[in-house]
Amino acid sequence: MLLQLKNIFKWVNSGGQRIFLLKDINLDVEEGEFISIMGPSGSGKSTLLNVIGMLDGFNEGEYQFLDESVHHLKEKYRSNLYKEYIGFVFQSYHLLDDLTVRENLEMPLLYKKFKAAERKAMVADMLDRFQIVGKKDLFPAQLSGGQQQLVGVARALISNPKLILADEPTGNLNSQQSEEIMQLFKKLNEQDGVTIIQVTHSEKNAAYGSRIINLLDGRKV
Amino acid sequence: MFKNHLKIAWRSLKKQPFFTFLNILGLSIGMAGGLLVSLYIYEELSFDTMFADADRIHRINVDVKFGGTESEMAEASAPMAETMVTDFPQVELATRFNTVGSTLIRKEGTQKNTRETHTTFVDQSFFKMFGLDVLEGNMASALTEPNTLVLTETAAKKHFGNNSALGKTVILNNTGTFTVTGIIPDLPKNSFLRDYSIFMSMAGLEDAQEADWTSNNYYTFIKLIPKANILDLQQPLQDMVGKYVIPFAQRYFPGITLEQFEAAGNRLHYYTIALTDIHLNSDLSDEMSANSSLQNIYILGLVGLFLVLLASVNFMNLSTAHSLKRGKEVGIRKTLGSTRSKLLQQFLTESGLITFISLVFALVLTLVALPLFNILAGRAIEIPFSKPLFWIVLLGTTVVLGIASGSYPAFFMSRFIPSKVLKGMGNMKTGGGNIRNVLVIFQFTISVFLIVSTIVVYHQLEFIQNKDLGYSKGQVLIIENAFAAGDDAHVIKEEIRQLGQVANVTLTGFLPTPSIRSNTSFFIDGSTEQEDAINMQVWTVDMDYLPTMGLQLVAGRDFNKAFTADSTGVIVNEAAVKILGKTPKEALGMRLSNDLGQENPSFSKIIGVIKDFHYETLRKDIGAVSLSIGDSRGSMAVKLNTAEYATSLASIEQIWNKLAPGQPFSYRFMDDAFNTTYQAEQKLGQIFMVFTSLSIIIACLGLFGLAAFNAEKRTKEIGVRKVLGASVSQITYKLTIDFLKLVAIAILISLPIGWYAMNQWLQDFSYRISIGWEVFAMAALLAVTIAIITVSYQSIKAAIVNPVRSLRTE
Ligand SMILES: Nc1ncnc2c1ncn2[C@@H]1O[C@H](COP(=O)(O)OP(=O)(O)OP(=O)(O)O)[C@@H](O)[C@H]1O
Ligand SMILES: [Mg+2]
Repeated sequence: MLLQLKNIFKWVNSGGQRIFLLKDINLDVEEGEFISIMGPSGSGKSTLLNVIGMLDGFNEGEYQFLDESVHHLKEKYRSNLYKEYIGFVFQSYHLLDDLTVRENLEMPLLYKKFKAAERKAMVADMLDRFQIVGKKDLFPAQLSGGQQQLVGVARALISNPKLILADEPTGNLNSQQSEEIMQLFKKLNEQDGVTIIQVTHSEKNAAYGSRIINLLDGRKV
Repeated sequence: MFKNHLKIAWRSLKKQPFFTFLNILGLSIGMAGGLLVSLYIYEELSFDTMFADADRIHRINVDVKFGGTESEMAEASAPMAETMVTDFPQVELATRFNTVGSTLIRKEGTQKNTRETHTTFVDQSFFKMFGLDVLEGNMASALTEPNTLVLTETAAKKHFGNNSALGKTVILNNTGTFTVTGIIPDLPKNSFLRDYSIFMSMAGLEDAQEADWTSNNYYTFIKLIPKANILDLQQPLQDMVGKYVIPFAQRYFPGITLEQFEAAGNRLHYYTIALTDIHLNSDLSDEMSANSSLQNIYILGLVGLFLVLLASVNFMNLSTAHSLKRGKEVGIRKTLGSTRSKLLQQFLTESGLITFISLVFALVLTLVALPLFNILAGRAIEIPFSKPLFWIVLLGTTVVLGIASGSYPAFFMSRFIPSKVLKGMGNMKTGGGNIRNVLVIFQFTISVFLIVSTIVVYHQLEFIQNKDLGYSKGQVLIIENAFAAGDDAHVIKEEIRQLGQVANVTLTGFLPTPSIRSNTSFFIDGSTEQEDAINMQVWTVDMDYLPTMGLQLVAGRDFNKAFTADSTGVIVNEAAVKILGKTPKEALGMRLSNDLGQENPSFSKIIGVIKDFHYETLRKDIGAVSLSIGDSRGSMAVKLNTAEYATSLASIEQIWNKLAPGQPFSYRFMDDAFNTTYQAEQKLGQIFMVFTSLSIIIACLGLFGLAAFNAEKRTKEIGVRKVLGASVSQITYKLTIDFLKLVAIAILISLPIGWYAMNQWLQDFSYRISIGWEVFAMAALLAVTIAIITVSYQSIKAAIVNPVRSLRTE
């Protein structure tokens, strides 16, 4: 088992009132699964993804990740955990404008204390795998949306995460571009055994996954 | 239109309270600093200009070299004044002062004395010379008779309360009886007479009536007739040497001529200095009041300018940084048809508004700070609210400042191209960044320079404080006006000596602290050759002087009661021996005389040589000094063998009150007396400190604002980096290091400049520190620390934000 959520509640206090963002979420994810989270806007999909990615906390419940109790972990240990095992892909790519494609890919490695030579090799490998060698010295603004997201996915994958969390990765792309990204996910999932959890609004994209989770008002339905 | 601009400007300021606050705070501190400095400089430049005909008044200075020593004095000889009026048609009037320093005063019929620190004899022409009038009394007759005096209004109030002082009798120093014949208004705070409160009639001073051309004891002021040129007077003035001084000197040196006098390497040079130049351009050892220097004015002027510049730079920096946020506004306005010049007007209105709000705060700040500043600078400066010129200059400067600091951001922002800015901030990320960096470097260059200067000034002061002066000034209590006890001074001395806490006591008017002392010429072993003359200060001391002051003998012996001949023996310092061209050993036994020309010349034998000691400020070299035994009761110095001053002081005061009833017991510690000597430097140090702090505050405000904008601009980047695994410390480091690079460059620029400038300043001191690398290390460390503290707050704040939040703001 990769991760397990048990009776997760998350709320915010606003004007003396508790507003629930997540209500009693239970979720088991096995290694190698490809899960799609769906639901109307505002239903809590991104919130759930952030909780899984340990970017955000929760108020009640238990969260086991690789048999570690995330809710008991210290901040520092938790961040080491997700640094090591989790990669993120965003709807708006979130590439750094000042850095070239190559530098963007290299960035997560810098934070994981790889040596320069190793970093170079890993970046070259990724560029190769995603067939963007020719674009390595361009800045994000010089790429199309699809190419930018390709770089985004490459960046998420570069340090070999076990789990990829993608929040509407194709939200800003046209259907052909989004198809390419989905194919890529599928390949990663099937060939490399990477676990993927994606948020999507599209039934078509959701179909690439092995399981669909539906959210409504912060509750699993 | 303008009203509309103003309305929008006001709203836009209100919309960004943080930015507006930083801007106004920085500007008003800078403006207040600039205003303070300007007022101070104006005050310094205005010294002595308030006297009627000030431009026609000059003082005679004397530059003399005789018998190995040189001195430059603000005092001339007694007959000089009147002779000038008779001999030179251009000279309308002359007035002499003969200052006596601090004086005890009491009303006739009372016993209790009080002390006035500044007292002087003065000629009757005083009133006419300086255009003064009496409040009470008759100007024409006041000060004509011997034993009459004039009081300032404050002094009269102090001693006579609400009763009129006119016609009353006062006793000075327990001996002289004087009648008050006039009350004059207090003298202006920015005049050389500011501290003087008692003016005694010169008619009563015998010495003043004598035609002694060789003693220079009279401050001599002359007033020229209108349109006369002071340059025309220099030669006739110099000619007085041959006409009067040399003939007079022939009583000591029979048959001497001016040529012989000069051929022997001597010099006597008379010259004038304009009254209004004295305060800033004259620094002789015997000035009537402590003067300031032009150099200090330049230094302060520069510092004031720096402050205003810093504030203005801040303004530009914050505004351009802020413009990143306003790019969209500009874009929208432009697509809606606003022209560039309209936008320019709008932005300039905004900066004008900020500048004027800052001006109001600056005035308030100045009002609050002025009393403190006055204490610091020793002045009575006021803001001249009622003078139109003040307002014209103030408002003019403000407008210039507003336009100068507002125009760069205005041009910068109004240039934005709508299609670009509307697409998002991505393309503008470096907008104005380079210039902003240059400005930050500029600001820190100034700050680091000021830090270096402050450290050097303080080190030099500390060096002076701790320098081995050749005598021990620690734990020495000085009882002033010991002469007030009359002959009982000796009894008091002996009783104090009996006290357990007292190591030694000496009774003398000659202490090794700077004061006005005259030189006497001595001839050696009966030779009347001028080459053999030596000019020395003669200090009258008693048998206990050396041990009390901790002076060290290098040859010979101390005075000793057992040798009766010691009453004619002298102890000289090494400087004197050097002028004699002998070693200390060789000098022992040499005989000196100062009255060779007279009937029964007296000789004194050198019995000891002491190590040189610093009796003048460390600005000056040590001159020749001789000590001889006599009865001088100017003050009593008590060396304590405990740091427990309080009990010793009480016991000593008790003895004083018992033996000198009714006389004020006034004392000081030699340490303090020494410190007052360096007040000018200390003040400069403190003033530096204040303005340095202000400049650092301003620079930090700017840096703080920039860091805030920078962090805000990079919110998304920070979020992404964190999600990709960057830790809080890595992010903080990244945000901080960019600023530190700028500070580092500033340090590199300012250190050599600071090194050069402060070495120039140190040239003024004969004894000075050398500027070591520690000074720079300290300045650099301080600047970096301050910058880190300023920036890291913003950096940490940005770094700990949950990335979920920052990425959501997209
Ligand atoms: N910090 C917060 N304070 C208050 N409300 C919040 C906070 N964070 C999220 N919400 C609310 O929680 C709900 C769920 O937000 P979330 O971003 O998870 O929705 P989503 O399902 O991802 O929607 P979308 O499909 O539009 O991205 C929303 O109604 C949102 O307004
Ligand atoms: Mg969402």
